Amino acid sequence: MTELGTRQLTKTYGDRPALEPLTLNVESGAKVALVGHNGSGKTTLMKMAAGLLDPTDGSVKIGRHAAGSQEARRLLSWLSDTPTFYEDLSLWEHLEFVARLHGVAEWESRAETLLERVGLEQRRDDIPTTFSRGLRQKAAISLAFVRPFQLLLVDEPFVGLDEPGKQALLMLFEEASQRGATLVIATHELSFVKQVSRLLALRDGGLIYDGSPADTDVHNLVLPG
Amino acid sequence: MSDAGLDVLYELRKRRKRHRLGDIEWFDAAYRVYLVALFGGGTVLWISSSIKDETVGADTLANVATNGPALIGIVTALAFMAALRSGAQGGPLALEAADVTYVMLSPVDRVRALLRPVSQRARSAAALAAVSGAIIGQLVGRRMPGTPVAWAASGAAFGITTALLWAGTALVAHAIRLPLWIATTVGLAGVVWQCAALAWHIPGPANLAGSLAMWGWRQHPIDLLAPLVAVIVLIAGVALLQRTSLDALARRSSLVAQLRFAVTMQDLRTVILLRRQLNQEHTRGRPWLRVPRWVTHPIPRRGVASVARFPTSRLVRMTAFAAMAGVFQAMVIRGTTPALIGTAFMLFLLGLEVMEPLSQEVDQPDRTDSLPIERGELLVRHLVAPAVALLPFAVIAGISAVATLGTTRAITPTAILALPTVLAGAAGGVVSIVRDAPDPTKTGAQAFVPPEMAGVTSALRIGLPIFVSALAAATILLVRQAERAGSSATGAAIRGAIGAVLLAAAVGYWVRRRDEWKRKFRQFMSDGQSYTKQQRSTL
Repeated sequence: MTELGTRQLTKTYGDRPALEPLTLNVESGAKVALVGHNGSGKTTLMKMAAGLLDPTDGSVKIGRHAAGSQEARRLLSWLSDTPTFYEDLSLWEHLEFVARLHGVAEWESRAETLLERVGLEQRRDDIPTTFSRGLRQKAAISLAFVRPFQLLLVDEPFVGLDEPGKQALLMLFEEASQRGATLVIATHELSFVKQVSRLLALRDGGLIYDGSPADTDVHNLVLPG
Repeated sequence: MSDAGLDVLYELRKRRKRHRLGDIEWFDAAYRVYLVALFGGGTVLWISSSIKDETVGADTLANVATNGPALIGIVTALAFMAALRSGAQGGPLALEAADVTYVMLSPVDRVRALLRPVSQRARSAAALAAVSGAIIGQLVGRRMPGTPVAWAASGAAFGITTALLWAGTALVAHAIRLPLWIATTVGLAGVVWQCAALAWHIPGPANLAGSLAMWGWRQHPIDLLAPLVAVIVLIAGVALLQRTSLDALARRSSLVAQLRFAVTMQDLRTVILLRRQLNQEHTRGRPWLRVPRWVTHPIPRRGVASVARFPTSRLVRMTAFAAMAGVFQAMVIRGTTPALIGTAFMLFLLGLEVMEPLSQEVDQPDRTDSLPIERGELLVRHLVAPAVALLPFAVIAGISAVATLGTTRAITPTAILALPTVLAGAAGGVVSIVRDAPDPTKTGAQAFVPPEMAGVTSALRIGLPIFVSALAAATILLVRQAERAGSSATGAAIRGAIGAVLLAAAVGYWVRRRDEWKRKFRQFMSDGQSYTKQQRSTL
């Protein structure tokens, strides 16, 4: 079953094309890496799939539902490269809010486990807007995983993370993948690409590679055109 | 699930409200309310008492009855245009960035989640418009038949109607993703139509709303259609909330928060920059013209490159400022002296727009300080390109003034006075930009102004640049005086032009020497403090 499907998906900013017509299907349970140089269209694609950005043309579906619809929002968890938080809520209150918005009744134990794994258990009562870049990223990771999802879209997850943080995140990816979730991860961390089942590469808004990471030289794929 | 999610959302909002209320310094808040009530109420009472209580004559009454609805309706037409443009640019809502990420991307019903922000927006706009309408209404009521209270009520009703129409129209324009050019065209057509209604007494689109404002005097039941239409448009906007663009919400959320902060801090430059970002006004990728080879010095070259990339919207705005300045100066010549304030504002705004190279330099203090050139000299050199760029706008202002006056006798004095006045008027913008720049001469948390004087300092900070622009505009008074005295208007214009040039030069000199003067002043004050300390220790 297709978890993420795009059909002639296009985005332009003024006259400048950010994403050229893209038709793509990501099967349920796949672990996909999305690579490309800066400005290649990775974040644009991810944001349109998350329903945060209106396509200029074409469509995106999450499962059988249009991106941004209520059902699609239930299935999809979005981890942005620029985490945002409320300025008057502690990390624990954020976790409670996000989990309960998604109907997670027994959220406390899950939240505690997540905080422990990303190393934020001592900071649970602090306001995340006061955190450093790396800690903010860890807080955002815990918020993305505290709620249920079928599809996880992640944009540059490793930026600012220390080594234990990276390892914790990789473990969380692995566990989500094992329970059948679909992962699409946009990254510049080329060492991570070896761990995925499918590699997508964008260059100047166009798809230049779609296949196994073992069959190509990733370094060539991320060079600007 | 939706209901459960909404319950969580409502609970969170209540909790956050409790947090905010807990953080409020109540004594401080009460003091602020007291100050606003004292000064605001006092000002309204003072203006009210300065208006004569005699009822206007029959001719004026007939004039108001004929033209009032169309004239007042122009306010509604302008609000309609503003709403269309706001919606086309992603307005009128501005959620917190975290609300966009966590609430809008969760499976709660978006329409119901957005109801409160919509209601807050409509309420705040309606409250502001109602108060403004009531104040103006009770002022009008002192000269017109009907009680001031009745006029205040009808003014408030007009304000609320216009505000609700604004909110609803903006929501609809947002939901249907109205392109900006269509929004501007349709809005402008509405304003032009309403102006035509005033000029030729044809039915205008906002006549009923305008007529509602006159219910303090006479009541036409058909006017009630205006609030009804406003409510219907608002309901349509709410019904379309499902189509709210998260892209626009995310973009506006951080910008609006910064904008509010900048307004609080009276940081005019930041307000302008954020307004441009909100309006998605970007500099041109391809410049209007290449930097000429003969401009060899890097600073003017950089200035020309900047001016050559001004977007069309900014050039249109600058043209409007220049044309309006010309109209206001013509009004001054005809005897309306307060129109000088209008000229001052227009030239000040024109200055802020054209001085982009200077503003960009001021925005990057670290880079400025790393350059092997004294800061004052650097900033003065940045004035060259914008000053040259003002030439066509001086021509526009001159043409506009002569056209408004409608006499060829005005051509010579205008030709002499236009460029110096525009240059000196724009110097007000220079003062504002340079005053707001970070101060490299400041070495610590020294403050030689006591906290009690902060209000005065603040008023000076805002007022001084406008005062400079007003001084430039005031040169027209010499020409008016000469006209009235029957002496040479050309001679008066030359004297005025010399005055304006001297004013512009003085501002340039201030920019050049400002750091040095501030450094000397700080040294002087610091020496004085050390001396006083020494004297005290020996006693």
